[in-house]
Amino acid sequence: MRRVLSLLIGLLTASSCLSPAARADDTLSFPVLVPLTGFLSLEGTSQRNGAVLALKQTPAGVAIASEVVDTGTSPEAAVTALERVAGSGTVGAVAASMLGTQMLAMLPLAQELKLPLVTVSGTASITEQGNPWVFRFFPGDAVTKAAHARYVVEELGKRQPAVIYQTTAYGQSGKAHLDAAFKALGVTPVFEEGVDPAAKDLLPVLTKALAANPDVLVLHLHSGPTALLLRQAASSGVTLPIVAGSAMHQPSTAALLEPAELKGVCAETAASPISGDTPEVKAFTDAYHAAFGKEPDAFALGQYDGMTMVLEAVKAGARTPDAIRKALSSETFKGLAMTYKSDGKGNMAHSAVIVCYDGASRAPKLVKRYDAPALAAK
Amino acid sequence: MKRCAAVAERSSPRVPLIAGALALLVYALAFASPYGLRVLTVAGVYALATFGFQIVFGLGGALSLAQGAFCGVGAYVTGILGSRYGLGFEATFPLSMLVPLLLALPVGLAVLRLESHYFALATLGIAQVLHLLAVNLPDLTGGSNGLAGVPAVVLFGWVVPRGLPMAGLVWGLVALGGLIGWRLARGRLGRSLTMLRDDPLAAGTLGLDVGRLRLTAFGISALFAGAAGALAVHTQRVVSPEVLEFPVMVSILTIAIVGGRGRMAGAVLGAVLLLHLPEWFRFLERGYLVVYGVALLATVVLAPDGLTGLLDRIAVCLFGRRQRTPVETREPPLPLDLPDGMTVEGLRKSFGGVLAVDDVSLDLRPGTITGLIGPNGSGKSTVINLLSGLERPDAGRVQLGGREVTGARADRLARAGLARSFQAAALPAGAGVLEAVAAARLAFDPDAKTAEAHAGWALGRLGIGELAAHSCDGLPAALRRRVELARALVRRPVVLLLDEPAAGLTDGEKADLAALLRDLAGEGMAILLVEHDMGFLLPLAGRVLCLDRGRVIYDGPAGGVRHDPVVAAAYLGRVASA
Repeated sequence: MRRVLSLLIGLLTASSCLSPAARADDTLSFPVLVPLTGFLSLEGTSQRNGAVLALKQTPAGVAIASEVVDTGTSPEAAVTALERVAGSGTVGAVAASMLGTQMLAMLPLAQELKLPLVTVSGTASITEQGNPWVFRFFPGDAVTKAAHARYVVEELGKRQPAVIYQTTAYGQSGKAHLDAAFKALGVTPVFEEGVDPAAKDLLPVLTKALAANPDVLVLHLHSGPTALLLRQAASSGVTLPIVAGSAMHQPSTAALLEPAELKGVCAETAASPISGDTPEVKAFTDAYHAAFGKEPDAFALGQYDGMTMVLEAVKAGARTPDAIRKALSSETFKGLAMTYKSDGKGNMAHSAVIVCYDGASRAPKLVKRYDAPALAAK
Repeated sequence: MKRCAAVAERSSPRVPLIAGALALLVYALAFASPYGLRVLTVAGVYALATFGFQIVFGLGGALSLAQGAFCGVGAYVTGILGSRYGLGFEATFPLSMLVPLLLALPVGLAVLRLESHYFALATLGIAQVLHLLAVNLPDLTGGSNGLAGVPAVVLFGWVVPRGLPMAGLVWGLVALGGLIGWRLARGRLGRSLTMLRDDPLAAGTLGLDVGRLRLTAFGISALFAGAAGALAVHTQRVVSPEVLEFPVMVSILTIAIVGGRGRMAGAVLGAVLLLHLPEWFRFLERGYLVVYGVALLATVVLAPDGLTGLLDRIAVCLFGRRQRTPVETREPPLPLDLPDGMTVEGLRKSFGGVLAVDDVSLDLRPGTITGLIGPNGSGKSTVINLLSGLERPDAGRVQLGGREVTGARADRLARAGLARSFQAAALPAGAGVLEAVAAARLAFDPDAKTAEAHAGWALGRLGIGELAAHSCDGLPAALRRRVELARALVRRPVVLLLDEPAAGLTDGEKADLAALLRDLAGEGMAILLVEHDMGFLLPLAGRVLCLDRGRVIYDGPAGGVRHDPVVAAAYLGRVASA
C-alpha cells in the first residue's frame, strides 16, 4: 500500500511539472456543435454550413477559429461537446444544435460557463428557462405555427383541418402551438394524430385523416416523413390542399419528390433562400452553392444570420462572451431573412413566411409574409 | 504467445488492472480537463449500467435488451422527483434503483421463461413500451422534450459541483458497484448463473432453481441500471426519451463484449475505451464514426475474449500463471435417511404420435443397483429424463422417499436427493474441474468456498484430486466421466441415475467404476444404471429391466436376462432358439 501511495504521489508531482502553462492567445473561437449524424443530419448539416459560411467573414484585426463537432442526437453528446470546446481557447459564442433536447441539456452548462448559444432550434421551451445565454435565430413555434394556422384559415378559408404531426419534441411542440393558434382562430381540427419518425408507411394515417372529412391537410413532420406522406397522397389522388411544416421548404425535402407531386403544396418557414426574393439572399444562395454544392434552406440562412450578428458584435468591439451576449440581447440586426431583435428571452426571429410549389419546379414561391406585430393569433 | 494463450484461462490480470486503475486516478486528479472529467464521468455511468448487464447477460447468459430501458426509468425517476418535487439525491437515488427493480420483477416473471432470442425480443418490446410511454405521457414525463432543470446532486445540503467532485462521486459508486458485482460474480450466485448460462439443462439437475436465479439476475441488473440512470440525469441535467432509446442499450452491450463478458473489470475497461474512442477522433467531423467502427472491429478481432481476456493472456506471459491455493477438502453431510428409495408406477410419455415410454414401473431400493437395458430408441434415456424432472410424464406416479414427486421440476428432485449423469458428460466449457464439481453443491452449501471444499472431497473419493486445478476442456473421455460422477457423488444423493457411465472406458477403468458403484450401493445409495455393456452391467445389477418400444419386456434377476427369448428378439429381431 505504501508503495502504491508513493507511486501515486510521484506521478502527481510529475504531472504538475508537465502540465502545460496557460496559453496567451487572442484568437476568438466560435465552435459549431450540430447534429451531423442521426435523424437530424440533413438539417444539422444545413446549420453547420450556414455557420461555417458566416464565419468566413472574419472581421479585420480579429483572429477567428472554429471547430465543428457532431453532437449526434443525444443530449449527453451535446453537453460533452460543449464541455470539450469550452476548454479550448477563448470561446466567443457557440453555434448550437437545433435539436431541442440537446439545447435544453446544454443550457445549464452554458450558463455556468457563461457562453452564448446561437441556435435555430424551434423548440419553444429553450427560451422559457430564464437562461440569458440562449439566442434563437429562427422563429419559434409560437410564431411559425400562428402563421401556419392563419394561412390555412385566413388565406385558404379552410375550417376543418386534419393535423398530422411527429411524435418527437419538434412534433409535440408544434402540435401544441397549432392547437392554440387554431383555437384562437375559432377552428377545431377534425383529426389529429402523431406518427413516429421511423414509420415507413403513412398511408394508414392518411386514410384515417381523410375519413374525418377535412378540407385541408396540415402537416408538422420532419423532412423524410413529409416527403413520404406527400408522395403517398399524390399517388392516392388526394386533391385537398396541403400546408406543411418548415421541413417541406428544405430543398433536400423537395429533392425527394417529383415537381408534380408538389403541386398545390404550401409550407411555413422562416425564410426560403432559394426563392431568392432579394439580391442579398440570391448572393447568399450562390455563395452557399459554390461552397457546399447544394441549395441552402432556412436553417442555413438563420444560422448564417445568427453568426453574422455575432461577428458584427465582434466588429463593434465585443471580445468576450459576455460582451457578445449583451450585444445580442440589446442590438437590432438586419439579416438576410429578416430583422432580428431579442424579445428579452432570446427569441430573435419574429417573422415567418408561407411558400407554395407550382408543380413545375422544386423551388417554391413566397406567397405570404407574417411579421411580428400581427402574429398573435386573433 | 500461443503457449501463453493456452494456459491463460485460469489466470487473473490483477497487476495490469491495479496499474490501470492507478493511471486513471492520476489522470483524473492531475491531467484531466473539465471535458476529460466529463467524459470520464459518463464512462463511469455506463460502467455502472454494464455491471448489471454483466450479471444478467455475461454470467446468466440472458440477453436482456431492457437494460438501457431500466437505466432510462432510473433517469426519469430522478428527473421527475428532482425537478418537479425538489427531492434530494438521498431520496431520488435509492428510488431510482427501486422503481426499475419493481418493474423488473413482474416483467421478469412473465418473460424469463422464454428462451434465447424470444427473451431478447420480449425485453426489447418492454423497452419500446417504456419509450412510447415517455413520449406520450407529457404531463408526467415532459413528452418528447423531456424535463429540463434537473438539479445537480445535492448530498446532505452540499451541492456536488461538476468536474472532479462529480467524477469522484460517480467513480466512488462505480468502485462500490464493481466490488459488489465482483463479489456476486465470484460467489454462489455468480457461479450458479455461469452454470445456468453454460448448460441450463444440467443446471436444473444439479438442484439450481433456474427461474429464481434468472429473476434474481434480472432484478440485480435493474438495480444497477437504475443507479446509472440516476447519475446520468444528474450529469446532463435533463431527461428526455433519448435515454430510453436503443443506442443506449447497444452501447451497454458493446461495452460488455469489448470489455470482456461477465467481468466487472471488463465493464470498466470497455466503458472507458468506448466513451473515449469517439472523442479521440472528433476532429474528423462525421468521419469519426467510420474510424470508431474500424477501431471497434479491430478490438473485437484482436481480443475475442474482450480486453480483460487479452490482459489475462498478457499477464500470464509477463508474470506466469498464478498458482491456485490448494483447497481444503471436507466431506459433505450425509443425505437424509429415505428408506423407501424411489418408486415408479405406470409411467407414460408420448412425443407427438410416438409413445416413448408406456406403463413403466420400477422400484429403486436403497443399497441396490438396478440395470435398465434395451435396444437403441427403446426409451431408456426418456425414463431417466422423466425420473430426473427434465420431462413431465403424461401419466404415472413417482415417489421419492415416500413423497409424491410426479412431474416435479429437476431442481426440486435434485434437492430432494436425486442425482443423474448424462450420456455425454455435461461439463461446462472453459470451467475448471473443481468449479465444475463445486457447481453441484451450490444449491446446498452456504457459499462457494464450502462448495469447493466438498468438491475437493468428491474428487479425492474418485481418485482424481490432482485434476482440481485443470480445465474441463481437453480431458480424456474417461476422466470426463469421473468428473461427472464426482458431480453426482458430491451431493450424496439417495438415488443415482447413471446414463451409460461405462461408455468409452477401458476394461481397467470399468473395473474401477464397478468397484466404486458397489461401494456407493453398500453405503445405501439406490442406483439405476442404463448400460449397453452387459459384461459390465450384469455382474453389478441385482435386478434388470429391459425396455422395447417404451414397454418393459423383462423385469427380473440379472442372470435371467441373457436367456430371455423376448429380450433376445428385441435385440436381434427374432426369437432365439433354446
